[in-house]
Amino acid sequence: MSDTHDSPNFIQYLIKLFYMVGGVLVVGTLITVLIDVMFSMSLGLAAIIGLSIALVKASFVVAIFMHYKWDKKLIMITWTMIITFFFFAGMMGLIMWAEGDIPEWGREEVPTIWPVLAAFLGFLLPASFTVFTVKMLSQPADTVVESTPKPKAKRVARKKKSD
Amino acid sequence: MEIPYTVKSRPDTGLYNGKLGIWLFLASEVMLFGALFSSYVLLRVGAADGTWSMGLMDVVVGAGNTMVLIASSMFVVLAWAQLKQGNLSGRWGSLRSWGYIQWKWATVACAVLFLIVKWSYEWPSKFVHYDVWFKNPTVLHEKIEEGYGHDGELNKAELWSEEKSKKFSLARLYIEKEIYVERFFKTYSEEDGGSHKAFSKAWDNGSLALSGHINGYEEAQINVQVTGWKSGSGVSETSAEKLLVELGAGDIDAAKNLRSQGGSLLEKVGYDVAKRSEYKLAKAGFSVVLSVAGYQAVEAHPYFWRTPRINEDIGGQPRVKSIKFALDASHHEVDGETHHKEIVINTDDVKRLNSYEPKHSTFFGIYYTITGLHAAHVFGGIIVMLYNLLPIGLATWHRDREQFANRIETFGLFWHFVDLVWIFLFPILYIL
Repeated sequence: MSDTHDSPNFIQYLIKLFYMVGGVLVVGTLITVLIDVMFSMSLGLAAIIGLSIALVKASFVVAIFMHYKWDKKLIMITWTMIITFFFFAGMMGLIMWAEGDIPEWGREEVPTIWPVLAAFLGFLLPASFTVFTVKMLSQPADTVVESTPKPKAKRVARKKKSD
Repeated sequence: MEIPYTVKSRPDTGLYNGKLGIWLFLASEVMLFGALFSSYVLLRVGAADGTWSMGLMDVVVGAGNTMVLIASSMFVVLAWAQLKQGNLSGRWGSLRSWGYIQWKWATVACAVLFLIVKWSYEWPSKFVHYDVWFKNPTVLHEKIEEGYGHDGELNKAELWSEEKSKKFSLARLYIEKEIYVERFFKTYSEEDGGSHKAFSKAWDNGSLALSGHINGYEEAQINVQVTGWKSGSGVSETSAEKLLVELGAGDIDAAKNLRSQGGSLLEKVGYDVAKRSEYKLAKAGFSVVLSVAGYQAVEAHPYFWRTPRINEDIGGQPRVKSIKFALDASHHEVDGETHHKEIVINTDDVKRLNSYEPKHSTFFGIYYTITGLHAAHVFGGIIVMLYNLLPIGLATWHRDREQFANRIETFGLFWHFVDLVWIFLFPILYIL
């Protein structure tokens, strides 16, 4: 969370949100179970409904519980997740082609470019990203140090208020 | 290169380093679980009809455990919010005053409850639950008539239709509707690839399994006979005789007799004793013959049995002669109380017996892998939470509050991820 969101009012607002998200998650689970118990449906439809509800629940957890709603402007996290997604997709693609059985299109001859691309996404991007990150972080950012004493004072003041 | 510790966000990344680190870790976790999820989906889609036992899962227990995990996920974020407000510990008596310590302990309690349900109820109840496959379809059909005939009659109105009843017995209709469709298919269907065709095939070729619990069995009592001794094995006569005495031959004279002329050493002993004696005797140069003297009825609900446990050949006889098998979804009234119908299965007829352990099938293999890995994450989380609740972890709070709050926030991110995995696991394992 960035510093602008550290105020007591914002934390109070967050706590309210947390309770709401908890409610959403509980209701989502109940709906999933009720649908499963009350209606009999094909596997495909059950999969779509079950996973859609799970996706909604997951979005709430990531957005609110994990503060992604306020962190998404931070390019490092978004970037990490995007790369993860591509790596994951590439890896799954390779597995499916290796498996060669499911799904149908997996049986066709695979153009060389795809495994190469998957390997690139799967290895080079995360590797370069890691090297870049470590290099950058190993040099202290100059503006950080001077602001360190400030929040301490802030916190003491806040504590007095709450007492 | 050394990455310095930062409490405040760096202007270039917008994050403090710990948070960036945990996000990178979570990214690798996504790949780990993602690979397993994908494997699950591939195996699920590729599974032959009637082999994916998703219907065996108890949805209510699963949903309950989901709620527990959701609660813990909420508590952990509340603990962090209290910490941000400087509230380390409130009073247990008033929920409004709860601080970090209280919410964190609540989180630990939920996590422990989750593991208790999983490890002392969900898994163990599967380890005593069995499938039995028969060598001969005729025997299978007889057993089904015997076990489900009564239930078929009771549910006649539901199962009976002119056209069906001409072809199939009530017991068959009952097991198809109440067990087979429930366990392997979402709905009954007579089309190609539907439940009815798969069931008919399994019925005809005998690949249908009877499922239930073992209530008792007849265990072999074994005679151990010594038939000869060769001195060539480097064991002296006296030490060979000593061994015989040790194993229960009586006095040294009897042992001498036994060594030179052979004879019965042990009578009606259990499997373990017999096998251990056989091993020691063979090592000392004796030739040994094991034979089954008789069978003893045992009342027990054994764990983890597989086919070799019942049909191991002991002098031409199986180790277990028969099992008392309480069938799933069957009903039988004894003195006004309803029990599961118990049938006796001769192990000679059994092709395969397996509890619902990873070896049982692809479904259980991947089920235990994914839920086990998830449970390991929950377990690891509990250890970290306890560390942060004990004085050794709290020392950080007294030294640098900001740092401790950040530590709790990064732990929270991990914990939400574990919750996230379960959010997807629940519908996939319990409902699909």
